[in-house]
Order: sequence, then C-alpha cells, then structure tokens
Amino acid sequence: MVMGLPIEDLMEKAVEHALRLGANFAEAKGEDTKTLTIEAINGQIRTVSEIRNIGIGVRVLYGKSMGFSFSNILNEENVTQAVETAMQIAKASKTKTLMKFSLASVSPVQERKSTVVKKHPKDASLDEKKDLCLRQCETAEAAGKAITNTTSSFGEYYGTIYYANSDGTKASYEPLLIGLRILCVAKKGTVIVDARESYGGSFGLEAFEEDEHTPEKMAEEAAKWALEKLKAKPAPAGRFDAFIDPRLAGVLAHESFGHLSEADFVVIGGSPLTGRIGQTLGAECVSIIDEGLPEKGGYKIPFDDEGVPCRRVEILKNGILNNYLQSRITAKALKMEPTGNARSQDYSFEPIVRMRNTYFDAGDWKPEEALKELKRGIYAIDTAGGQTEATGTFLFKAVRGYWVENGEPKHPLKDVALTGNILELLKNVEAVCNDLELHSNPFGGCGKMNQRAFVGLGGPHMLIKNVLFGGVA
Amino acid sequence: MDKNELLEIGRKALNHAHKVGAEEAEAFLYVERQTSVQFVGGIFASRSGAIKGLKGSFIRMLEPWIKRKGLPKITSGIKVGVGVRAVVNKAIGFSSVSSVEEDKVLEAAEEATRIAKIRPPDPYWVSFPSPREQPGVEGVFDKKILDVSIEDLLRLCVDNCVAIGDLDKRINQAMGSVSTYVVSRAVVNTHGVEAFDEGTVFGAYFYAKAKSGSEEVSSGDFLVSRHYTEDLHSIALNAAKWTIEGFGKKSLPQKYVGPVVFENRSWNELFSFIFPSGVSAFNVQENRSVLKGKLGKQVASNSLSVTDDGTIPEGIGTSKFDDEGVPRQKTPIIEKGVLSSFLYDNYSAKRENRESTGNASRMGRATPAYANLPTIRPTNMLIQPGKGNLQDLTRELKNGVLVKGTLIGALHSNVVTGDFSVTAQNAFKIENGEIAYPIKPCTVAGNLYEALNNIIAIGDDLKTFETLISPSLIVDKIVVST
Repeated sequence: MVMGLPIEDLMEKAVEHALRLGANFAEAKGEDTKTLTIEAINGQIRTVSEIRNIGIGVRVLYGKSMGFSFSNILNEENVTQAVETAMQIAKASKTKTLMKFSLASVSPVQERKSTVVKKHPKDASLDEKKDLCLRQCETAEAAGKAITNTTSSFGEYYGTIYYANSDGTKASYEPLLIGLRILCVAKKGTVIVDARESYGGSFGLEAFEEDEHTPEKMAEEAAKWALEKLKAKPAPAGRFDAFIDPRLAGVLAHESFGHLSEADFVVIGGSPLTGRIGQTLGAECVSIIDEGLPEKGGYKIPFDDEGVPCRRVEILKNGILNNYLQSRITAKALKMEPTGNARSQDYSFEPIVRMRNTYFDAGDWKPEEALKELKRGIYAIDTAGGQTEATGTFLFKAVRGYWVENGEPKHPLKDVALTGNILELLKNVEAVCNDLELHSNPFGGCGKMNQRAFVGLGGPHMLIKNVLFGGVA
Repeated sequence: MDKNELLEIGRKALNHAHKVGAEEAEAFLYVERQTSVQFVGGIFASRSGAIKGLKGSFIRMLEPWIKRKGLPKITSGIKVGVGVRAVVNKAIGFSSVSSVEEDKVLEAAEEATRIAKIRPPDPYWVSFPSPREQPGVEGVFDKKILDVSIEDLLRLCVDNCVAIGDLDKRINQAMGSVSTYVVSRAVVNTHGVEAFDEGTVFGAYFYAKAKSGSEEVSSGDFLVSRHYTEDLHSIALNAAKWTIEGFGKKSLPQKYVGPVVFENRSWNELFSFIFPSGVSAFNVQENRSVLKGKLGKQVASNSLSVTDDGTIPEGIGTSKFDDEGVPRQKTPIIEKGVLSSFLYDNYSAKRENRESTGNASRMGRATPAYANLPTIRPTNMLIQPGKGNLQDLTRELKNGVLVKGTLIGALHSNVVTGDFSVTAQNAFKIENGEIAYPIKPCTVAGNLYEALNNIIAIGDDLKTFETLISPSLIVDKIVVST
C-alpha cells in the first residue's frame, strides 16, 4: 500500500484532474468521521460498535450532464480513477437523458470551522460513556418492580467534513452529535407498555450534567411514564382539540411539512406546495424554520455538501409560504437562491435536497396558559413513528397522551393516534407557545432515497383545533 | 487490493491487537466494486402531455427518440474496509474502519481491544473458529463482469426499458436497474484461520406502470446471477406482461379463506424473511423461535424438504467460507417435513459445544459488510421442487386465489410468531383452473409456520433469489380480503 496524501490535497488534485478532462465544474467531498454506539440492556453492556468512515466523493458537470463516483482507498491512483469514472458516467448519461443540470452560482467560500465544546467525546473515556448507559438502567430498574426491561443507548458522531470545488470554495467543519436515550418496559398482568426519554444534539458530554438531562433524571422520567401508562385508558376516537408537545411538533414540522418544501419535489411538481409561494397556508401564528446553525440545540452544520453556507430559511412565515429548501440544482431550475440544503449521507452518495434543523418557531403563549384554553381534548406527547404521504396526509402515534378537561390533564391515554393533512392542520393552530426546544440524536436520522442524514427537529407546545384522533398506526 | 495485501493487513491488525492486550482477535477485510445503472424511461413524456404544442403525428415520429431519453442514475465506486473483533477475558470488542491503510487498521484493532475491556465477560464465549478444510466451489466468479463498461450497462438498461414501452400502448412508465458487483473478502484470526475469496454478482430489475382510464397497474421482474448476461429481454417482457394482465381488477365478492397458489416470487418474500429467523440457532437459544424443541419433529407437510447449501455451483450465497472463516457446507433443515437442524455461526455453535454450520454473515441493510458484526443467515436455501409450473399449479387448484409478484409489508411480519399480513398487488381469482380476473390490491394473511403444515403442492419452477431457491407452491387456509 502506498500511503496517501492528506485528504484535502487529494481532493484538490481530483478537482484539477476533472477540469483537465474537460469538466466545466467539479467538486469533492472528503470525510473522516467516527460513529460510536453503546447499548446496555438491563444493566449489561450488550453492544459497543464503532465505525470510522473515511473517503472521497467526486461530482463533475460535463456540459449539462452530471457524474458522481467515490473511493475510500485514499491514494492518487484511486482518486484519479474515481474522477475518471465520474466523467465517464457524465458522458454516458449525456446521450440518454432529458434532464439538463446546471448550478445556481454562489460566491466561493474559504473557511475552516472548528467545533469547541467543554467535554468533546473524543477526549472522554469509553468508561465514562458506558457508565451513562449503566446509570440509566440502574435508576430505571430501581423505580419499581413493574419495570421489567430497560434499554439505554449512547451514541456519538464526530470528525471532519471537507469540501472543495472548481469555483474556488474550500471549506471544512467538524460535525458533532451526541445522544442518550432510555427505553423502559413495564408489565402488570397481561398489560405491557413502554416509555422512553432521550436528549441529544451538537453538544459535549457536559450536556448530561445539566439538571434535567442527567442520565438519572431521564431514566426516572421514563420509568415514571411507563408505570403511569399501566393505568392508561384507551383514547377516545373522533375530533378533538389537541395540545401537542415540542417533540411531536418537531415531527410534524419535519415529516409532514418539511419534506413537502424540499425543492427537488417541487421541481418535478410532486409536492402540493408547488407554485404556491406567497399563498397563505397556515394560521398567522405559524412559522416554520429550517436552518443549519440554530441558536440553541439541534444538529449544527455551517455548510452543506455543495459548500454553500447554510442559510436560515423561513419556509412558512406567519402562515405564508415563503421559500423552499434548495440545492444549487433546484435553485437554478426554479430561478431562486440556493439555501445550503444539499446534503449527502457520506462521501459515497451524491448530495440531494435535505432538511437540517426544522421547527415551528416560538410564539408568545405560556404553555400553562395555552393548556388552560383546552376545554375538552387530548394532550399528545412525542411520537415513535407513523406514516406520511407526499400529499401531506399523516398518521402519527403519540408516545404519551392525556385526556384534558378544562385545562386539567385527567388521566393517561394509550394508543393516541393523530391523523389528518398537514395543510389543514396548519390552519387550525390556535396558540403557539414560547418554550421552543430542538432535538437531535445520532441513532437514526431521516431517510430519503436510500440516504440517511442527521437532522434536528422541534417546536414549542402548540394548541390545535379539531384534530382527528383514532385509527391504528 | 490483492489477496496477499489484504491478508498482510489482517495479520498486522491481529499482531497489534495482541500487543495492546487482546487474548484473541479476528480481522474481516472487504473490498467491493459496484457499478449500478438505473433508468426511468422517458416513454411517459410523450403520453402524459409533457410535450405541449406538438401535433400527434409529430409526437409519434419523435416517440422512438423520446423513449430513449429518460433519467439515468449511475453509481460506480469502490468501498474497502476492515472490521476487527478482539477478545479480552471472554468479552468481545468490535471496531471498523472504511480503509485498509495500515495506521487506520491498527487503530481499529486497538479500539476493538479497548472496547472489549469495558464489556462484561460473555459466559457463552469460547473462542474464534480454528482452521478447517474448505470446500471447492464453482461458478462464483465471472471474469466478464470485470470488463463490462458503464456504457454496456446503460445500453442494456435503456434498450429493455424501451422494449417494455413497445409492448403495450397503455404502459406509461418503465424503470430498470442493472448492477455488477465484484467482492473480495478475507478473514484472519489468531487461531490460524487465513481465508480469502472473490465473487461476482450481476443483478437486473425491470418495472412497468400502465394506465387505462382511471385504473393504474404495475409489476416487475428481476434476475440475480453470478454471471453477466445480456439476455434480459425475457425479464423486461415479464415486467410488461405482468403489468398489463392486471387490468380489469375486481374486488372479491367476500373474504376468501382457503388454498392459495403462491408464485415463487411472492413465496420468497414471506419465507426468506420469516423462516431464517426461526431456524437461527441463536434465536432458538434466546427463546425467540417457535421451532425451539422441535428437532426431529414434524414441523411441515411431508412434501417439504429444505436444505441450506453454501456450496451449490453458481449459488448467490455460495463461497468457500463464511464471514468468520468457517467452511461453507450443506445443511438439511427440513427433511420430508421433519426439522433436522438449525443454522449456526461460531458463537451459537460453541455455546452448544458443536461445530458451526458456516452461516455467519455480515450483510447489512444500510452499512457495508465490514462495519457489521456477524449474524446467522442462510446461504442458498433450496426448497426441494415437486412437479409442475405455475400454470399447472393453478389448474390443480381449480378454485381459489393466485398471488403473484412482490408483496407490500412482508418486512412487517412477526418473525418470532410467523404471523404475516401483506398486500398483494398482483393477485388473481382462479375459477375452474383458469384465471377468472385480477383482484384489487388485497390483504393476504396467515402464519408462516402454519402454512408450512398446510402445503398442498410444490411446483418445479425454481427461481433464484438472494438467499433462497424456490418453486411456486399451493398453501391452504390463507385469508385473502379486498
């Protein structure tokens, strides 16, 4: 094995080589990142898995044809080969495609961004991380005999992402994402329920020293909710007013609305938001934001994988559709501005339009006052998943729920499923609170076209009229 | 990367793991060259009015050209990587890196050892496998695949998509995908295992959509083989034919409970997803299999025999050794309805003080093989063929339902209990041994383990899937509803 040059030198050579072969544009993404996952079940460390991901991806534009290839053998020979493959792909596609690609122009960026936190996971011992999981299991198990199973996971992702292109952009940043979560299963007779709690974002490990996010506190809460759920009554079906928590708000913002605002769906006319810029889609109190560097929480990204600085996009501003999420390709096609939303899972994938941190912006209601407005309805909290369709139709199953009368939560509910269409729901928002929260974690991320991406999502508590409950997720 | 380079890097990783305190170690090295071409045909462009302001006759003139213009997506690149397992005091650590550079691999070995040290001892851990003689295998490497160009694949893909569009005016979209893979694997461990092999895979998939009035239908067909072939016409035409035969769908007059013909493709989806989980020795040991305690007992109709054979010439799952370096072998699982063996990897075998059946696999859904720990997976499961093709089985059934094509929701089946409830988009009502009409998308529900006991007939139309070679068959007591 010939030892390779530093990754940035190889990327520069790749871009130069592509231009020499006749490309009118070339870019390279380099990456050296690490992912660690620790899982403890019932107080035993079950899984510790570490993946280091290093490689270079090259994208070229030849005329109006695009080609992409990658290599993770980092020497000149193999990176040159990747450039040649990308050129070959662009040339081959040229004769077979109706699609023409061009890129919106952006000013070149030259910037190196480092990430500084108090306790970076790269400086902490495995023991310390493992203990976070064990502490969670221990606390949860101690909460009651009915807790039969506890699973705690710790995850981290960090490293360096490099980007260079033939426009003169040369940028790098250090992504960082950590997360801790606990799942408790409680059993009584034949009733089996579960509850969970998690916290994560672009933080150092000091985040788990803050009062409300210590492993013990999270485990206590999860155990408490699991035990409480043993007494839950089935949720009534039908239309009720709903009070939703920041996590559920985040999933609505991301899954049911955010995807519709991705400009690649707009370019092909697949999104119901196509051609609706300037139209009122929601109540005036509703604004939905997507940005790379939120002030507090979430997953921080300064540039996207086209080297474009991540702009703050007000997708929905006071109920009016204001913008889409753009790559350089979609921006050119729609004659709009790139927003820094082109992202790839890793060096081996082409960038596509993705969200970053998507959330309902804060309003001015205090949560306890907004809840008082709920005369008869359901307080729905968090979701473990559901289904959404390209039309905006969704079905989400809340993780927790309470029946509320006159602003007072009366009893816990089980199987709380919300369904409807996001475009209708946005019109029915009555109150948006001031307690904005953003959540992110390294355990899964958002999937699109076989690529995964880490994202942040959130919102404040919100009061929504006339939500359809019932149905099985 | 050749054999010696890979093995040498592996040895260095072992030495380093040993140096930093590992009692045992293993390195899995992986190189994958993949080229895949996807093409969404441009046929629909002329028929859905995307070209505005052009006269009909002019569009017809342009049509052959338009059909050849679509949206190609081509991916080609190389991925290499190493996964290291290190053992300290019966605790296993795992770390992986997407590189075969020495410093990075040594770092992974060190990290794996560090991870082992924080884990509790695993009471069932014995040791990594020792070397055993490997079987000879044939037909797993096709040199021709090395010379196939991106242009060749693109041409194959586009030409067949065009052929699909030519078959019927109602077809408004054709999609194809053609891929080649060249994979090298090496496994080394501190007990002296040093294994290396190479294989090629060629895959093709075609899919068609058609519309008539408000009715939309779709279907597809695919091929997976160790060899390159340019003869993809028959699967492209199947995709078109099977799409068109779906027109005129009706609801079933009432819920149907009774015998169903499962085409090999549909049966594969249920069987390949649920059954391997039930015969995984690990799942049996962990009480996650309904087959626990059933060895030597009747678990299926006596017409059913299933073997797992990792040495079948040209098999997709065929290789000299598994992903832990254990030789592949032939393992009878069900013989004439009687359960004869489970499938083992090294860990689950040593837990029972027996030999692994060579079924360790690192195949992952989202991550490359080197980044995954081994799990138990079949190689080539073969369902022993009976008699008759799909048409013969349909005739034999006389009255009932025929389920064809891929199923939606098979992955949501309960792998522990075997319960499934899937949606079939290509199902047909059978009356008097003939297809009476296609059925609207319907729910097909049952339990796989009960289904094995309710097999009425097994065909001989073997088709090769990723881990299964299966004929079509008739199963009783299946619930179908629209």
